[in-house]
Amino acid sequence: MSNYRRSQNQAHPNKTNALMTGILVLLILFVSIQIWFLFGALNNALRENFNFALTTFIGSSILAVASFWLLRYLPDPIDSPDNEL
Amino acid sequence: MDEKKPDKVPNWKRDFPIQKKKATHVSRREFAKYLGLFSGTLALGNGAIVIKSLYFPEEELKGEHFVCNQADVPVGEMFQFEVAGTTVVPYILIHLEDNEWRAFEQKCTHLACAVRYRADIEKIECPCHKGYFNPRTGDVLQGPPPRPLPQLAVVVKDGQIYVKAKDQEKFI
Repeated sequence: MSNYRRSQNQAHPNKTNALMTGILVLLILFVSIQIWFLFGALNNALRENFNFALTTFIGSSILAVASFWLLRYLPDPIDSPDNEL
Repeated sequence: MDEKKPDKVPNWKRDFPIQKKKATHVSRREFAKYLGLFSGTLALGNGAIVIKSLYFPEEELKGEHFVCNQADVPVGEMFQFEVAGTTVVPYILIHLEDNEWRAFEQKCTHLACAVRYRADIEKIECPCHKGYFNPRTGDVLQGPPPRPLPQLAVVVKDGQIYVKAKDQEKFI
């Protein structure tokens, strides 16, 4: 039996793909910025630069929350016996 | 309309598949979840730095520590010493002209190579990546080091050299 969602998926198979790629690109961007923050904080904390450590921590936390929030929009895999690995 | 999918695999079964091919496969969905996890870990790491600088600040050197006799180090020479504390950090003592003495940490602020004083060019040199420091102030003159060398105050008493923590610590 077919339903609306299945026929949509069959008609536009690239939709899920684009969504997944977009989310991955955003996640990689967030993680890259966080690595940059962490590197900067490590460098500055050596000089007792507390404000920088705190600011990057806040920024990094916001990015982490954004990353978790993005995971909500991960598309469900199109379950069918053919698609199952 | 049958909404229930007959081939729906429960999550526990999906996580521990029987076939090796399925077990080693990382889907994009899982990769995205790993990235989310990594993102959280990085935020925690950043938090650890904040906690460290709040509750475990670096201890200042307490009291005066004897280094050597004044006669041991001629003008233009450098003397390497250590001050035993919580961590053993190597220092260098430099005898500049006009009976001026300076003491710096020997660890380069770039990648912690050992720096040395070169009297011929009157600079402190890090031989690893050609970083140069001012021997009077410890400021970076050239090269990759991001920060000046940490400095100690030198006290000369009865021909003997002592070091102690420098007063003007910068707290930003």
